[in-house]
Amino acid sequence: MALGITFIYSIVRLINWAMGAFYMVGSYLQFILVTQVFGVDRWWLAVPCSVALVFVLGALLEPILIRPMFAGNVERKDEYATVVTIALLLFMTAVASGISGPYQRTPGSNLGTIVLGPLPVSGARFAALVVALVALGLFYLFIKRTWLGMALRAAADSRTGVQIAGVDLARIDQFAFGGGVALAALAGALLAPVFLVFPTNGAMTTTKGFEIIIIGGLGSIPGALAGGLLLGVVESLGTVLIAPQYQNAYGFLLVLLILLVRPVGLFGKRLREV
Amino acid sequence: MPISAGSEALRLDGVVSGYEPGVDVVRGASLRALAGAITIVIGPNGAGKSTLLRTIFGFLAPRAGTITSGDFELGGLPPHRIKALGIGYIPQQINIFPSLSVEENLKMGAWTLRGRRATIAERLDAVYDIFPALAEKRNHRSSSLSGGQARMLSVAREMMTQPQIILVDEPTAGLAPSVVPQVYAILTQARTATNAAILLVDQNVEGALEIADYVYVLDLGRVRADGPIAEFSLERTRELIRASLRG
Repeated sequence: MALGITFIYSIVRLINWAMGAFYMVGSYLQFILVTQVFGVDRWWLAVPCSVALVFVLGALLEPILIRPMFAGNVERKDEYATVVTIALLLFMTAVASGISGPYQRTPGSNLGTIVLGPLPVSGARFAALVVALVALGLFYLFIKRTWLGMALRAAADSRTGVQIAGVDLARIDQFAFGGGVALAALAGALLAPVFLVFPTNGAMTTTKGFEIIIIGGLGSIPGALAGGLLLGVVESLGTVLIAPQYQNAYGFLLVLLILLVRPVGLFGKRLREV
Repeated sequence: MPISAGSEALRLDGVVSGYEPGVDVVRGASLRALAGAITIVIGPNGAGKSTLLRTIFGFLAPRAGTITSGDFELGGLPPHRIKALGIGYIPQQINIFPSLSVEENLKMGAWTLRGRRATIAERLDAVYDIFPALAEKRNHRSSSLSGGQARMLSVAREMMTQPQIILVDEPTAGLAPSVVPQVYAILTQARTATNAAILLVDQNVEGALEIADYVYVLDLGRVRADGPIAEFSLERTRELIRASLRG
């Protein structure tokens, strides 16, 4: 999730507040595909389908909603992006409520509880971790080894530079937006059996995603990975050592601490000098 | 003389362009650049020289006039289409991707050739022959290069596609004087090696006149004087620029 936010920001230079909505769509698609098409034993087939569908959705929405930001004379691009993506978030949440109602659903899971050393872990959580790690590995290879991956990294450095190199920047933006929301959908699909499926289920993960971004630094992909790990460790340690009721609060305390000590985040770059 | 030998590679007729609505920076510029020749555009600050190059490369759409290369009308095409037609642009700012390695930067220069591994390997070798300093650092991040090396990299990157038309904006601005002749040597080499048409915008009048074949003096977005290099002594050119500044 955090990786998706930072990926879109680093290339398209906008913060997508609607990431939670794409997480939600991913979880609904997973629910529908598992219950109607694949069945609970083949949940792992439903995951790439949900992700691919959300990628297409993102790639279709980008030219309509985001591209006008770069064409014409939009004066305040940041404000434009904020308004458009928040509107999209509200719209998609409302549509989901209208179609599905406020009920909490679950695609179910065929994975029982497994025991890792002394710890019993729900099979669905463990599967989510494994698939997420595999997806991260593939994402890393794609970014490092392919022409398109190289162009994406280059575009994050200089949008003018890639145009001079002959890259069609509009296509890159479209791909980056689709890819970023697909990462959110991956989280939604994998966590559907754990955190359930309902219209506002993206809210907490979006919050966590932005916490990770603040910790790791906006626009830094290693920062997103390190921030995610650090947030998880701090929340778990707080739960065990202090009190489990305040699990989410520990993360926010960490965010406050980071903002006090290093406002750009662990791996962030200072964008504006005073 | 190279002027009569070269065929017309790029032609601008009455081009008008600018950034803000209603404010024209280039105001009806007409010029042409010949293959195998270096055409320089000089003029005082604010004459519209850089804007002219940005308009040719498609970052700005012309408000009036035509830009043609052979049978192609370039006006209104986006930059990536113009690049694909064999036109390269070397902007005034050092243009590298700092988080990519030196070799990845050069490969990005060959984006329009992607998939043609043999050609790209060949061109990489050619670039490393000319710039041994880049070969040494090929796997380093390009942010580790010195200012002069970074400028070399941004010029070398545009040479990867061997463009038929090269638009160059202030290639020696901010460079150590010892590196300046090297930059001009690359441009003259491209002129003879690939018969490229080079359109060079420069503040370094003295250095540019030494390698130029044809001269345009631009003032307030219009061509004020033009002619083959023989007609432009350093004194006459300086006088023309001073006259432009007086208005």
